[in-house]
Order: sequence, then C-alpha cells, then structure tokens
Amino acid sequence: MATSCRLPDFTKTKGFYFIMGKYVLKRIGLAFVTTFIILSLTFILVKLLPFERPIGADSQQIAYFDKQTNLGYVYRFENNQDEKYGEYLYRSPMDKGRSFYYYKVPVLEQYVRWLTNIVTKWEWGYSKSIMPNVSASVIIMERLPYSLRLNVISVIFSVPLGILLGIWAALKKNTMTDHTISTMVMVFISIPSFVLISFVLRLFCYELGWLPSTWPPATAPTKMKIMGYIIPVFCLSFGSICGYCRFVRAELCEVLESDYLLLARTKGLTRRQAIVRHALKNSMVPIFPSILSEFIGILGGSMILESLYGIPGIGKLFITSLTTKDYDILFVDMAIFTTLGLLFGVLTDLSYGFIDPRIRMGAKK
Amino acid sequence: MKKTSKLLAVLLAVVMVFSACSSGTAPTTTAPTGSGAKQDETTTKQDETTAPVVEVPWDGAYMEKDDFQAYVIHDLNLMVESMEEQLDDALYSKVKAAEADGEAAIMAANTVAEVKDAYAKAKTAVMEAVPLFDGIVSYKKESNAERTNVLGILERFAISTGLTGVSLFENGSYVMYNPRVTLGTENFIVGYGFGVLAEGSITADLEYESNPDWKRYYHVWETMDPGTLLYHNDKGSQVGDMYAYVAAAFYTNFMNDTKDGYDWVPELAKEKPVAVNDDDGDGMATTWKFEVRTGKDGLKYTIGSELESRQAFNNREVALEDYETAFKFLLTQSNKLERGTETANASSGAIAGAKEYYNATANGPSDEAWAKVGIKTFEEGGKSYFQVTFQEEQTQFYCMYYIGSSLYMPIPQEFIDLVGTNVDGVPQLFSYNNDKTESPVDNSLVLGPYYLERWDSEQQVVYKKNPNYVFADTKYQIGGVHTKIFPAAKDDQTAGINEFLAEHFDVASIPQDYLDQYRNDPRTRSTTGNSNFKINANACDQETWEYLFGVDGVVAQSAKEEYWDLKPLMGNHHFVQGVSYSIDRLTFASARGNIPSVDYLASNYMSDPENGLSYVTTEAHKKAVAQLLDDTDGYGYSLELARDYFRMALTELEAEGKITPGTKENPTVMEIEFAWMYPSHEESNHKEIKNFIETAFNDESVSGGLYKIDCKFWVGNEWSDVYYNKLMVGKFDFGFGSISGNSLDPIGFVSVLSSDQDISGNFTLNWGVDTNGTDDYPIVYDGYRWSFDALYNAVNSSVVAVQGKNQAPVTFEYTELVKNEDGSYTGSFTLTSSMPDKIKVTVTDVVCCNYERYRNGDKKYDEASLEEFTVEEKNGVYTVTFTVPADLAADYATGSGTSEDPQGITGFDLYYDQEVDGNLSTGLYYSVDDVFEVE
Repeated sequence: MATSCRLPDFTKTKGFYFIMGKYVLKRIGLAFVTTFIILSLTFILVKLLPFERPIGADSQQIAYFDKQTNLGYVYRFENNQDEKYGEYLYRSPMDKGRSFYYYKVPVLEQYVRWLTNIVTKWEWGYSKSIMPNVSASVIIMERLPYSLRLNVISVIFSVPLGILLGIWAALKKNTMTDHTISTMVMVFISIPSFVLISFVLRLFCYELGWLPSTWPPATAPTKMKIMGYIIPVFCLSFGSICGYCRFVRAELCEVLESDYLLLARTKGLTRRQAIVRHALKNSMVPIFPSILSEFIGILGGSMILESLYGIPGIGKLFITSLTTKDYDILFVDMAIFTTLGLLFGVLTDLSYGFIDPRIRMGAKK
Repeated sequence: MKKTSKLLAVLLAVVMVFSACSSGTAPTTTAPTGSGAKQDETTTKQDETTAPVVEVPWDGAYMEKDDFQAYVIHDLNLMVESMEEQLDDALYSKVKAAEADGEAAIMAANTVAEVKDAYAKAKTAVMEAVPLFDGIVSYKKESNAERTNVLGILERFAISTGLTGVSLFENGSYVMYNPRVTLGTENFIVGYGFGVLAEGSITADLEYESNPDWKRYYHVWETMDPGTLLYHNDKGSQVGDMYAYVAAAFYTNFMNDTKDGYDWVPELAKEKPVAVNDDDGDGMATTWKFEVRTGKDGLKYTIGSELESRQAFNNREVALEDYETAFKFLLTQSNKLERGTETANASSGAIAGAKEYYNATANGPSDEAWAKVGIKTFEEGGKSYFQVTFQEEQTQFYCMYYIGSSLYMPIPQEFIDLVGTNVDGVPQLFSYNNDKTESPVDNSLVLGPYYLERWDSEQQVVYKKNPNYVFADTKYQIGGVHTKIFPAAKDDQTAGINEFLAEHFDVASIPQDYLDQYRNDPRTRSTTGNSNFKINANACDQETWEYLFGVDGVVAQSAKEEYWDLKPLMGNHHFVQGVSYSIDRLTFASARGNIPSVDYLASNYMSDPENGLSYVTTEAHKKAVAQLLDDTDGYGYSLELARDYFRMALTELEAEGKITPGTKENPTVMEIEFAWMYPSHEESNHKEIKNFIETAFNDESVSGGLYKIDCKFWVGNEWSDVYYNKLMVGKFDFGFGSISGNSLDPIGFVSVLSSDQDISGNFTLNWGVDTNGTDDYPIVYDGYRWSFDALYNAVNSSVVAVQGKNQAPVTFEYTELVKNEDGSYTGSFTLTSSMPDKIKVTVTDVVCCNYERYRNGDKKYDEASLEEFTVEEKNGVYTVTFTVPADLAADYATGSGTSEDPQGITGFDLYYDQEVDGNLSTGLYYSVDDVFEVE
C-alpha cells in the first residue's frame, strides 16, 4: 500500500462544485434546523422552571409581581381565572373589595412571542438583570470579542506546542523523554480546569505576585493588560496542548510503524526524509480538522475560567444569565454557542475533503 | 437550671411532710429510681402507726418523680415570675397564693397524669387571679422604654410557647481592614458600622492600584456588576449599597461625638420636622414640615458624564420643585418602578394619597391626582419648605425615618426627560440606555457624598468625592471608592480574603477556613448582624393544624391525603426546649464566623432607634431570654438540660399514650424532618444539627435505648420552597429560615409571631398556640391579662379587647339578595358593635358594583349608590336593608351586553363611619359579592 503516490484531483471531476455546493447548503440548512430545535428546547425547558417568589410583606409581593407583569412574565387579571389561564401565582387586594390576580404567562405563549420578535424584527430581547435595559444582542457583541480573542490566542499557542511535543514524544518513543512527556500529559489532562486555575492563581498571583489575579480593567496600563492574558491563555491551552500531544504521538507512532514508511526507507529515503515527507503529512490528516473542533471546545471550557478570572466574555455571561435568570441573554448566548459549534462542525467536515483528497463530501457511493 | 427549683421542690416536700404529720395525715412516699432507667413498680412499707394510705406507684418512665415535679414547678414559677412587675401587691399576692397551692398539689400528685393535671389546674388558677382586659386602648404613644417592656412581655410569651422556634446564630462576621484605612471607630456600632467612609480616612497608597488618581480610593469588591444604580427599580441589596454612595436624603446618620452611637442629622433638610397638626400636643401628627436646602443655600447637582447634554446639568442648582419631582417619579405607575409600587402600597409610614396617585397613573402622571397626595413644597418668609402628610400620625422621629429614604433625592424633570425611557417604558435614569451608548455615568445626576466617575461593565465601578455634597468639608474625606467586580468570590469563599491578603482590596470578611488563623489578627474586627437564623417549629396539635391548614384551613388549604403527619414529639413543648438546649451554638456559629444567639431579634433591632439602643441589650429582653440561658454555657447549650427535657417529653408522651417504647434491640425510631433552603445545607448545617440532637436524645441515659430519634433532611427545588411549601403551609417539623423586618420598629416586626394572618401579613413561620387565645400562657401587662394579638395591636395602634382578646370593632353579616316580584332585589347587612356603648356606627352609603362588566365584559367599572336603604339599630346591632331597582339590576346583571357569557356578578360596598371611644374614622367600607339572575 503506497499512499504517497499522487491521487487524482477530484475538484476537476464533473459536477464537483455542484455536489459540494449542494452538500454545504444541506449541512447549513441542517445546522439551522438543529439550532432552532436546540433553542426551542432550551427556551421551553428553562421557562418550565419553577417561578421564584419573593419573601416579604404584601407591599413587596405586589411590587414584585407588578414588575414581573411589566417584564412580560406574568399576567395581571382583575378576576380569578379559576386555573383556566396559566399558573396562579398571587392575589393582591385592591380597593373596594377588588383584587388583582397574577398568573404566569403560559410557556407556549412566551415562546411564540419570543420567536415572533426574532423572526419579524430580529429582536432578541433585553437584559432584565445583568444590564437592565440593554439589548441582549448588544451585550453579546460587546462580550464576544473577549472570548474570541482569548480562544484564538490559546489555539495559536497550544496547537504548535502540542504538535511539537507529540512529535518529539513519538520520535523518542519508549525513551525516557517519551515516558516523561506521556506521564506529564496524563497527569495534567486529568486535572480539572478549575483546580488548575486555582493552583496557578495561588502560585503566580498570591504567592509570587508576578501576575494579576483578575482580568485587568480597561483603565489598566498596557503591560498589565498583556500580563492579564498569561493565566487565561495558559489555562485554556494546557488541556489542548496535552490533548494534541497525545493525539499526535499516537498518530505518528502508527504511521512510523506502517508498511509504506518502511517501503520509503527501503527505497533509500533517510529517516528524516521519510518522516518529514510522508509520516508527518499523513499523520496530520485526522489532526488538522480537530483544530477546528478544538476551538469550539475551548470556547465552552472558558466558562469556568472567565468566571474565576473575571473575564467579561460570553462564557461567564452564560453562567451569570443562568443564575440570575436573565433568559433573553441566556438564549442569545446559547444561540451563539450553538451556531459556532455547528458552523465549526460543518467546516470540520468540509476540511476533510480538502486535507485528504480521498474523502469526497456529498458523493454517492 | 433549675437547681433552685429542685431545692425548692425538696424543701416543699419537707414542709408538706411536716405539715401532714402535724395534721395527722400520713404523707405518701415513693422510692426514687435511677435516672434514665425504666422504673419497676415499687411498694413502700407503711408505718403501722399512721393511717393506711393507698399507695400509687410513680409511673414516670424516664424521670424520677421529684425531678419531674421540680421541672413542672419550675414551669409554674417562670409563669408567675413573668407577671410580677405588672401586678399590684394585692393581685400579685393572689397569684402567689395560687402558685403555692399549685406547687403543693403538684408535690402531692403521685402519677405523671396527676402532676400534669395539678399543673394545669395551678396554671388556670394563677391566670384566673388576673382579670382579662376589656376595653379600648392604645399604647402607641407610650415612651420607647415602656414599649420596650411590652416587647419583652410579648417575646417572653413567644419563647414560653415555642413561637420563636430555636434560634441558632446571628449573621455577624469577622472582617479584616487594610491598616492604611483608619476607621471612624474601632468598635462596631450596631445599625451604623465602623464609619469607614463618613468618618474614616486613608493614610497610604494602595500599591496594587495602577491609576495614580485612585491609589487613595477605598477599594472594595462586588461579586457581580448590577448594571444599574436605579435603586427605585431594584429589590436586591447590591444596588442599594452602591446607590448609597451617590445618594443624599432629607436626613442621614453620623457617628456621635463619643463614637459609641450615631445621631440623626438633617442632610438635605435644614432642620428636624416640625408638627403641623399636633392638636393634642402629644408629639404626634400626620402633617410635618421642615425647611430644605436648595440652590439658594448652595446645593448643586453633580454628574461625572462628559457628554455635552449632561454637562449642562453639572453644578446646576437644586430647585424646590425638584423635591416633588422625585416623589412623582417614584410613585407614577407608568414608570414601572418596583419600589414605587412598594411605597404606594406600604402599610406603615404610608404617605396620604400615594396609593390613589399610583393607581391613577397607569398611563402617565396626573396633576389632578397629584394635588391629593400629601407632598407639598412651598416658600414662606424667603425660606423653602417641604411638607409631608402621612396616613397615620407619626412621631418626629418616625417622620424623619419614613421621609428619610434616599429614594426621594431631588431630580430635575428636564433631566428625567433627557435621559428618557427604555423600550419597556422604564426610565433610564442611573442606567444604560438600550443600545449602551450611554452608561450609568451619563445618566446619574446626584447630590450624595460621591458621584460616578467610571463604569467599566463587568470590571469596575469608580466613585469620586462630590465637592457639591452638603458635608463635603467635614465628612467623607476619602477621595473615592473603587468597586472591583470580582465574580470569583461568588462561589469561592476564600477568593475575597486572598485578594485582601495580597493587598488588592481594603476589606474582606473572613471565611470559615481562615477563622482560626485570622480571628485574632490586629486587622480583624467583629460585626453584629441584621438577621437571626433559626429552625422554626411546627408544634400544632391535630385540631389546630386542621383549623389552620386543613381542607377549609384559614391559612392554607390542603386535601386530606396531603395532610402533614404531625409528630407527637413536636407537640410537646419540653421536647422543643430539649432541642434548643442540645445545640452547641458556640461551636456551630463560631466555626462559621457567625455569632451564637438564642435571640429571636438580631442586634440591629433598635428599641430606641433615635439613640441607637439595641433591643437585645435591654433588661426587658434579658428577662425574656433568661429561661433559655440559665444553667447553660451562656449560649443556651446544656447537654444535661437537653437530656432532662427529652426525658420529660418522653415521660409525658408515654403517659399520654402517644408513643410506645421499643426494646433495646429494636427501639422505637421517631423521625423528625428538617427542611432547609439549599442542597448544600445538608453538609453545611444539617449534619451538625442532627449530630447535636441525636447525641443528646439517643444517649442511653435518656430512654435506656428504648427510643431513638432520626433527623431527616429535606430541601426543595428553590430556596424559597422552604417558606412556601413548608413553613407557611404548616407542612414541616422543623424548618430553617429567617425573615427580617424594619430594624427600627422591632415591636412592629413581632407581628410575624401571630397566628392571625391579618396581623402577620401571611408571614407566620412557627405554629402552635392560637395567639389570640388567653388560656395557653399568660400575658400580663398593666394589671390585666391579654392575648398576644390584643397586646400587639394595643402597642402598635389600638385595640378593642373583649375578655383579653383582640376583637374587630364591628362584625358584619350579609344576607344574600332576594328577587322581588317587580324585578328589584332586596338584601341586607347586619353590623354588630363589639362594645355598643363605646363603638357607634353611622352607615353613609350602600353602593352596587357592576362586577359583571368589570370582570367578564369590557373591564369598565361602574357603580351606583342605592338610594333605598334603611338602618335600624338595637343594642349595638345595626340592620341595613337595601333595595336594588329593577332597571339597575337588569343592566348590571348582563354587564350591559358586554359579557359573552354573563354570570350576573355584582357586589355591594357598605360605607360607614365608625366612632370608637370618641375617635371617629370615616369612609370605611365593607364589600361583598353576590349575583343577579340572568334572564
């Protein structure tokens, strides 16, 4: 089996672009449907959570339920609905023997209203507690760059380092170097991220005092702002470096033991030539697409980091919106994560075709 | 304890033997048994020289007879002791005589049932020696000292009947301050603090701060960015705390000269309030006025925004009408401000006409409605005045207190208009606008000690000293406040202290893990709390529970299959006492950095709010809680007492046949459920409490291993479930929780101990006795016996008391409509005066209401006064008969055709004036629903 031979250029195959275009559109369409289903399920499940009630005197209860009415979560009626409409929450006496009756707006009604606003006005709602008044999409767009910047830097930092370590370990297979790298990888890959972050904070911020212990504010000097990236990038990269190292080592070891590499050597290539021209190239085939999926993986993993280090990104926003029940923010954040995840999924699939010409997207058997 | 009681009991026994011998009657004797062992039947050899006596063996299972009698007598003694100060010599002699008779009867009793019976009779005799109060009275105008005494009496009753539950700790803490901060005082002042900002200073730079202008700012932190300073629309404490930096009020507090308390000082006002209508000269009035500062006095606004449109308001002079604007802004319903709704619906300190204005402004401000609100500003003799009219009379202090909210900080209408409203119609004052092109810095125009300098979302909020502040020259000498948004501290309790120790912050509270290390650090100070956490108890018997929570419960309704399984143990007061004694509060609270406490009210509740006197430091309180502290470690813990009370409870319950013992090998296990707020409470609280109780109860010495207790854990989905699904509906044994009230009005706050939901505002958390009853435990005040509810009402407002119980001045009955042949309807009300000679009623109107159209039709409300009604009075019973004309009934029955499915719903409002002991109340009404026939 000699895979290093030149393969036919499938892009010149008749109808290639039509097939690929159709495939891409189909995948994007499916991604859209998946996003819709995920958001709908999230909306309905979140809205089915029990309605929180305040503890306090009648005046405080009335104030609370009136506010919920103003926010659109509750309906206020002037007669008892006898459970015909939504979930009964509270009754407040008015004057002259009349009362206000508060009912939770039915979930499906909220869902239709929310969906209508998005579809007809592209309005994703407004923050209720995180930043009262402000449009959810404005908040997201303000936070997104922080998360993206961190993650891009982290990927740039972790991929080469992880691959290099992996290559080194593979080339030094079963030596002390390999054992040391592999052991370190196994140890560090097993440490939960919040433990690692706490450890790094304690060591470098509180014990040694070398690095800022929280994300530097906008008014901090440039030097401090740059130093502020060290801990988050390090913590985000750590898992990736270990992952890539393990992955590359495994792939490269397999390739190094393959028949075609032996053939290449017997044909007169030096070890270096065989590795650089054949082994590395082939071992990278499954690795490069994983870089794309790694990106979305890191984005998810930054939730904890952002919360612990005080980074105003969308990861922290997701957790805050969940705990403060600022649902409009939560849904936009969820939409961003879902869309990015699915988009990178599509890109990953497409990348296979470009990296390995043997893989043809959308082609029938 | 109770060593004195035991001695007394032994002494009494000796006296009885002596007196019995001297009168020729043979004493009965019993052989004591070892404590904790089930007794064998014993017989006593009779003295052949005395008359034969029928020997009844002591049937107490787990307690010796003399011990049991001593404890019961102790209960009786405590009861009598609570009456002593409130009775004259003659009455007290009667009580003491009844007590002595009771003690003798208890000592003479031979069985558990006989002892309990003797105690019950003694209690009745003691209570009946004191007359029940009948009449109409108010103690609201009594001095603070006298009202504090009443609070002590009410608290004592609540403790004696188990209504206070079992207190655990006060949420005080240990706090560390950076040595560069000089505190206003080294000792925490209850209700005020250390005076860090107002009286303190900063003497060195904070090296960590990179901005040179902020190095001497006070550096604090918050776990999250609230995104707004609009306190008017926020119920959490965080926005309130941050708003306080920039807000000013009519009156404020500053530390006193001796640095051990605080004074009330006019801030925006120039003087203390002056009563306008104190007609009877008692110092109380509904209308108060005082001079206020305006631009003429140099009072100017400050804003930190650099926007040109906002800069126009910087250094703008405060106009007199801006004071009114602040109230209008808050109370206008269309502004949708949560605290506006709350202020309009306030039950205490309510401003006259505020609720009516609120209800009339759903679509925007109304000048016509505002004219009826009790807020006025005017110029007089070249001075600017503010006048407020409350719905009820207030003292000068409470006028300052109620009007002193920083929510009423003046604001120009032009600024409100400039800032505008968001898409939901909520004003954007102190907030971001919808597209975040304006920040709270741009939308906050302030008069307080600081103004907003910078707001970096999710990063920092910075305040700078306001040069225009009224006391800028003498107070608040620290140049600014830097608030770091520090989310890590939300989930990691050590994050804040780590930042403090790294000298990034100026203050941090010490978490549990660091307490041992830093409790005695020179940087550490201790603070008191604002809330006492407790485990509330459900001590209802079956009958009471069903009355309160059964199918037709007056508090909440439950289907029969959902009835709570009441535990016999919980209904025994001695068991609940045993639980209280079994908890080692010092260990429990200290490990958490809190303050161990048996008190119901936290330290910040003021019996004299004007002078900062905490209720828990008063003699009245100390007497009330003495019964929980005597013979304990000083925090209510005594393993010996706990076991004694558990023995007593088991002895009583077994004698009553409510529990049956198991065997040593197979003991009777009694489960008691503890309801908590959060799942984490299982580790953080429940396990330790369970250990305390089970260690005491399950000890061999208590029941010889025949009974075991098993404390179960419960938690709901939401933290509030413990209130709504457990405590407030009676479906619990013990439930963890705390509620806080107005700390300047502790006597008003104890309303939550009442079983009457009209008094407690549906916030009763402990259940057991009927607080409007007079038979369970005596409340004696001013020579009379009262129910809890009656005395509570008397000291908070006024009461009509009949046989010591709180009584509505007038009770109502309604006789349903009867249709006449001509299509008209006739109905009637019967009003019964509780005291015909002192309570008179004048019916002024009967109004027919069109609820059919209002509720089922076009929502338009109509009503019509009925001209045909008659009133007949006989011995305080007023019969009001009214007739609804046929055409009106026909019109209202169908809602004028606006209802799709008319039900004929109508209602009647009976308007009346009521004169109670010469005090006239007008415009009162009573409402009922009824139906017309639908053709």
